[in-house]
Order: sequence, then C-alpha cells, then structure tokens
Amino acid sequence: MVNPGEKVKVRVKINGVEYEENVSPRKLLVHFLRDLGFTGTKVGCDTSTCGACTVLLNGKSVKSCTVLAVQADGKEIITIEGIGDGKLHPLQEAFSDNFALQCGFCTPGMIMQAYSLLKENPTPSDEEIKDGMHGNICRCTGYQNIVKAIKEASKVRP
Amino acid sequence: MNYVGKPVKRINDKKFVAGKSQYVDDIQVSALHAGFVRSPYAHARIRSIDFSDALKTKGIVAVFTGKDLNPMLKGGPGPWVTYIDTKDWRYVPRNALAEEPRYVGDPVAIVLGIDRYSVADAIDKVNVDYEELPAVTKMEDALSEKVLVYKELGTNVGYRKNFTSGNIEEAFKGADKVIPVEAFNTRLIPSPMEPRGIVARYEGGSLTVWYSTQIPHFAREEFSKDFGIPSSRIRVIMPDVGGAFGSKAHFTSEDLAVVASSIKLGRAVRWTATRSEEMISSNARHNSFKGEVAVKNDGTLVGIRGDLLIDLGAYLTYTEGLQPAIIPLMVPGPYRVKNIHITSTAVYTNTPPITMYRGASRPEATFIIERIMSTVADELHMDDLELREKNLVRADEMPYKNPFGLTYDTGDYLSFMREAKEKLKYQEMKRWAEEERRKGRLVGIGTAFYLEISAFGPWEYGEVRVDEMGGVTVITGGTPHGQGTDTGIAQVVAEELQVDISKINVVWGDTQVVASGMGTYGSRTISIAGSAVKIASSQVLEKMKRVAARMLKADVEEVSYSSGEFTHRDGRKVSWDDVAREAYAGKDPGLYSSVTLEGDVTFPYGLHLAVVEIEDTGIAKVKEYRACDDIGKVINPALAEAQIHGGAMQGVGQALYEEAKIDENGQLGVSYAEYFVPTMVESPTYVSYFAENPFQSKYATGTKGVGEAALIVGPAAIVRAIEDAVGKRFNKTPIPPEEIYKAMLDRKS
Repeated sequence: MVNPGEKVKVRVKINGVEYEENVSPRKLLVHFLRDLGFTGTKVGCDTSTCGACTVLLNGKSVKSCTVLAVQADGKEIITIEGIGDGKLHPLQEAFSDNFALQCGFCTPGMIMQAYSLLKENPTPSDEEIKDGMHGNICRCTGYQNIVKAIKEASKVRP
Repeated sequence: MNYVGKPVKRINDKKFVAGKSQYVDDIQVSALHAGFVRSPYAHARIRSIDFSDALKTKGIVAVFTGKDLNPMLKGGPGPWVTYIDTKDWRYVPRNALAEEPRYVGDPVAIVLGIDRYSVADAIDKVNVDYEELPAVTKMEDALSEKVLVYKELGTNVGYRKNFTSGNIEEAFKGADKVIPVEAFNTRLIPSPMEPRGIVARYEGGSLTVWYSTQIPHFAREEFSKDFGIPSSRIRVIMPDVGGAFGSKAHFTSEDLAVVASSIKLGRAVRWTATRSEEMISSNARHNSFKGEVAVKNDGTLVGIRGDLLIDLGAYLTYTEGLQPAIIPLMVPGPYRVKNIHITSTAVYTNTPPITMYRGASRPEATFIIERIMSTVADELHMDDLELREKNLVRADEMPYKNPFGLTYDTGDYLSFMREAKEKLKYQEMKRWAEEERRKGRLVGIGTAFYLEISAFGPWEYGEVRVDEMGGVTVITGGTPHGQGTDTGIAQVVAEELQVDISKINVVWGDTQVVASGMGTYGSRTISIAGSAVKIASSQVLEKMKRVAARMLKADVEEVSYSSGEFTHRDGRKVSWDDVAREAYAGKDPGLYSSVTLEGDVTFPYGLHLAVVEIEDTGIAKVKEYRACDDIGKVINPALAEAQIHGGAMQGVGQALYEEAKIDENGQLGVSYAEYFVPTMVESPTYVSYFAENPFQSKYATGTKGVGEAALIVGPAAIVRAIEDAVGKRFNKTPIPPEEIYKAMLDRKS
C-alpha cells in the first residue's frame, strides 16, 4: 500500500536507456514520459480515443494517457524518438514522402501505431490498415495519404 | 530550378515525423500550471466563492476569481474589427473570468499551482455558491426574448440586417412556380488535434506569450489593448500549431485569465486545454435558412427570399461576427439570380461560444444555395447539373458583379462545368448508381457546385533576406499551421530567385521577428503572403544584379541572371554566393526587401461529387469523393490535393457524423465518445483534379486558394448523394442513421 502523497520508485527502460524515478502512483505514463523530455508523445483527448499518446510497452502499442507510470515498472518503452536508430525509420520517411501529415500533432501516435501494426502484420491490405489504425484520429489529412504511407513502408525491408 | 507546379516535398517534415515538433505544451519554460473552475449551470449568478480549502492544497500558489482579475482589463475581446463592423453589433466584451456565467463550462475561477495534478485536486475544493438563473439554450427560443442572455443588452439579438437586391415582389409575382426551401446546419466543433494552450510570462514590464494561435500579431494587439502594456513590450510566439481550422483565431476567457495571472504573480503561467476544454472553447456553424425560391419552368431562378438565423453562443467571439454578414452575400453563389431578400439574424444563447470554422460562412451559404438548386431540380424534374448550367454566370459577364456588390474576378463556370463533369464521370456514375439500385444496393451519387470568396486582404507582409553566405531567409506574415504553405512559399521564392530550395528557410509566427502580419485563414496564404514574398524576392534579385554588375565592372543592363549565375553579355560570370558575399563587403551593403502587399478577394470554384452507400440499418458511408476545382495557379499539386482530402473528410463528418449535442440543461457532449470525428474507417477514397487551364487571380502568384474548398461544398454534395440513394429529401447536416432508416421505412410503406 502507498499512503496519500507518497511516491513510488519506477524503473523503466525508455528507448534503450534505463530510468529510475520516484513518481506519484496516480501519475499517467504520458505525463511521466513528457516530463522526462519525451515530448514527441502528445496528449490529444485524455480519454484514449485519439491515439496521439501511443507508445510501445514491452512491444505492444498502448495509449499512454490511460496507463499509469507505475504500471510500466520493470518494462520497456519505445517512443517516437526511439524508433529511428539515428536516422529516420522507413515509416517516418514514408509519412513524409506521401504527404501523410499536415499539422503533425497526431503523427507520432499514428507512426507508433503503424509500427505496432506492421510488426503484427507485415503486409497489411488497405482494409487491414484502416482496421488497425482506427484508434488514431487525424483531423487534417483525411487519412488516404496515411494509408498510402503505411503501405509503402510495409514494402521496405530493413 | 522549376519549383512552381510541382509536388515538392514538405520542407519542415523531419521534426514532425521524428517527434521533435514543439507545440505550446512542449515548450520547456518553468511555469505555474493553471486550471479552471467552471460553471455547472448554463446561466447563474455567483453569490460567493470560497477557495480557502483549495489554497491549502499542496502545491497551490493562488486562486483568482473575476473580482481579482477583471478589474485589470482595460477592455476585452470583441469582434475582429478588420473585418467586422462593430456598429452592426450589440455585444458585451468578454471578461477574464465570468461573474455571471453564461454557459455550462464558463470559467469562474483560475487555480494556479506547481503541477497539473495538484491544480486538479484544488479545483475540486473551490466552493462556488451559485444562484441558478433562467437560461435559453436553443436559438429559436432566444428569438422570443423570454429569457435574456444579457439583461444589459435588453435583447438576445446581437445582429439583424436585411440583405435586399433587385425587385423581390415582381420576381415572385412573375414566377411560374414558388418552391419552399429549408437548410439547416447543426452545431459543430472544429476540434483540431492539438487542444489550445498558452504560456504567458510577464517580467520587468514585458510580456512574452507562447500561444497556439493563427493570429499572433492580432494577439499582440489584443493583449496590449486589454492590459495596457505597450505593444512593443509584448512578444507573441506561435510555436508549432496542431491544427486550427479557424478556431484558434479567437481569444478565450482562459487566455485572458492566464495572462492576467502572470502579470499579477510576476511568474510564468501555462494552460493547456484538455479535450473537453477545447470542445467548449470553440463551437461552429449552427444556422438555419427558411424561405422560398421563385423559378421559371425552364429552370431559371428568378428570386430567393427567406430568413437566416445564426447562433452566437454566449459571447460574441472574435470571428463569429463574420458569418451573419458574409453568408447572405454569398447565397447567390455562381448563379445569375438577381432578386434576393434575406433577413440575417444572429442571437445569443446560453451555450458555448461559436467561432469561425474552415470555410466560415461559405459552407453555410453554399449549403443554402445548393439545397435550393437541388430542390428546384427535383420539383422541375430537371437534371441537377443541367439546372445549374442554366443559371451559371456566363464567361462574357466576367468580371461579374453579384447582387450584393461582390465582384467575381475571373473564371468560365460553364466550360469548367463541362470539363468537371467529364473528369468526375458524372453521367457514368449516375447510370452506375441507377443500375446498382436496381440490383438492390442502396447507393447514391450527389454533386454540388461552389463559388468561394478567398484570399482576404487587406494586406500581408513578406520579407526576403539573402545573407552573406547566400542563404535565403523568408519572413512571412502568414502563419501556416499544417497546410504546408511554408513549402509553397519556399517554392515561389526558389522559382523567383532560381536557387535550390534547400537554401531557403521560411520563418513566421513571432511578433518580434515578423514586422507585421495578418495570419493564415480564409484560404489566403499562398495568394497574398506568397505574392508578398514573390515581389520581395524580385526586389532582392534586382539589387543582386546591381552588385553583380559592379563585380563585372559593367552596366546592370548588360547582366542577366539565371539558375544561380549572373552572366555578362560577353560571357563572364559571377555566382550567387559570390554576389551575396560581395553585397556585404562593398558599398551600400545588405540584401533585404520587405513588402506589405495590399490585396483583395478572389473567387475559386469547383464541382464535387460524392458516392454513398447505405446499409440496411441506415448507416451511410461515403465510399468515394471526387473533386474538380479551379483554384487558379496550382503551386504544389500534392499539397493542394491534401487540402481537398482533409476538407472532404471534415465534410463527411459534417454531413453524416458530427453534431455538438447540448442537453436541456445546456451541457455540451464534451468527448470524442459523444462527438464523432471521423476515423480512418469512415474515410472515403478521394480523387482530386484541378482545372487544366485555370483562371488566375490578380495576385502575383496567380493562385486563388484551396484550404477550405472541400468543406465548403462537401456537405451539400454528400447530402444530395443520400437523397439520391434513399429517394427522400434531407435539408440538414448531419443526417444520422436513424433519420435515414426512418426515411427508408417511409419510402417502403
């Protein structure tokens, strides 16, 4: 049990680097990440609808606005800042090449969800992409170019 | 070095895809967090506010109410006087915090603390003793004046004006047929993905504001006016802005309260809206038109008369004043109808305030006139487009002065219509839908034509600097926030200067860097801001020619320029970089030019076609969306198409899904569980064409603008497609599944 106001130690690996932080048990993972400077992960709706906060937790995509930081204890997190390996990831390239972003606010979450989707299904059809991505909202692009980008990235073999 | 007309990749994408973008909430400034205590009533008087418990909460620094902050204001936001005549309006300027809250969610106190969690705790501990007052939440009820939103105004009517042209009585007397028409757009929520936010830092008499806005220079003016700080001491910085669609061109109470708190405490204060807070910050549309049209049996439209009613919400925002004044002017659209009488009335209600939203008055006007055209086509048993062709303004009438004095600059609507029908495969699609319906599929085709007024002046600022290394910095008063106009502007400058686009950096959105500016809205940026920098570029290039002539010891007339090289008649050359360096080494140093370009509106137009399919349950889906537009010269077809895609998606939302629902107590549905922004599953396939031989505007870029086109015309095309599928009339947006289902049942019986 944790008393009110008490903090809890959380050990996580973010983009390959270990962090040990004392956090309030009610702190959301998205705020935990953003306060550490990983501001690529955005808060868009606070209710796990829009997906702007999508990150990978032990390889699975989660909406980090609906996960507590303490739930990530002992786990590995990958954020938008961590997929590029020093250069842009094929998905990041494909988003840019296909005009798959406009204001860019949904883009990190969109790319992280697409990253997770392609890991599970490396050659998705348009319908499978739509089905796998409908938890991420974009207000600017109308989505067609995002589908195109994901499809194109799926053809790039690292 | 040809860039114009090519699908050049967006020049600033890298930071966005890499997660290095910086929106206002990403700005690392040591600041207090602000949160708001909000009225649970649509209308109330505050007897008292007790925040003693809130102040005892760990991490809380201060709590302020209207009594603390409102006296600091020397004014308060009213309408945008650049475009709105205050004489036409009855309004009360907005305060920092409400002392008589007028909608559910109206902020009554600001809580300031060291982190967002303690602020949330403290908000719950603020005790407000309210006396609930009668509220009016429906605009139709507001007209009866039984309950007043503002006692001090003595009326709920903020605006009422008659728009009259020609001879309406004669027109109706001489008509073969008079047809009643109705058009209704429900309340929407623009809902950009980045909720609005602000960081204000007041220090030593200077105010710095990081602000998710479309209009940083107007914000500087507003804060200077409201707080009495010299504008030269105010710096407004627009970081990356995560979408706006017109909704971030107004000043909220929360913004004022944050700035006031920063001044009062002498500390930086930040506020980022939650999604729910974003949803009550800016609502949109909500208007109805009821009237009748006079027609000849051959389809000639001779008169339109009716009443336009527009909801303002609880406050007159910076931008909502545009709608009641512009909608009537654009009702005639691209058609020759001359006799019009419209009474435009805008009323206050105890609901969240309404602002402009992508298209701002042209979607409303287009919905009205296109509903009229479709209804008349049905009543006269004419083809939709044949009827429109009958009424379109002829090419030999251009420039055409519309009944309310707007001058349609360039275009040939009729020959464009022929081109568009072909490209969109109108006849084929109609036949296809009929065949499919015979086979039992509920599919429909709908088209609508639009004429848009865009590229509003009165002016825009542009500056071009070539530095000693030959790098080009472009400074624009435009404020791109997702459209990609920074890339379009770079293309225009790269083409003008004949330099590689990688040499160019486009800068905007900082009042301390950009001398002046209006901003990005109304599909104006590539036209007016693009033209300003195009002219500035040519001026810089003229000076570079003079420097090159000096280097070549020649007259400037003997020097020509192309692709990075200044060449003398005799063949000697100096390079761009050498000239740039010399320009800072010799006499008359410096390579800069700034232009404040005046300009006036232009009129793009287009035909869009929607294909819908309806399930047995009444759920409709837009399968395909086809667009053909004459937007003047196209600078970047990929960016222009992207605007069509995004606008069309919002059009699908408006036509089928999006409805800001307000219950009888005035409570708005404030999450994405209640307000359905379309997801990828609802997205259609888009096909976008631009006119082969476009009619250019008078702007130096020749462009007309494309940012709003598809949301202007999309809803009308989609509603028509639903009618085609179901065989019943729908006069409103959105059309929810239950209404379609009911119509399907009615039709069967």
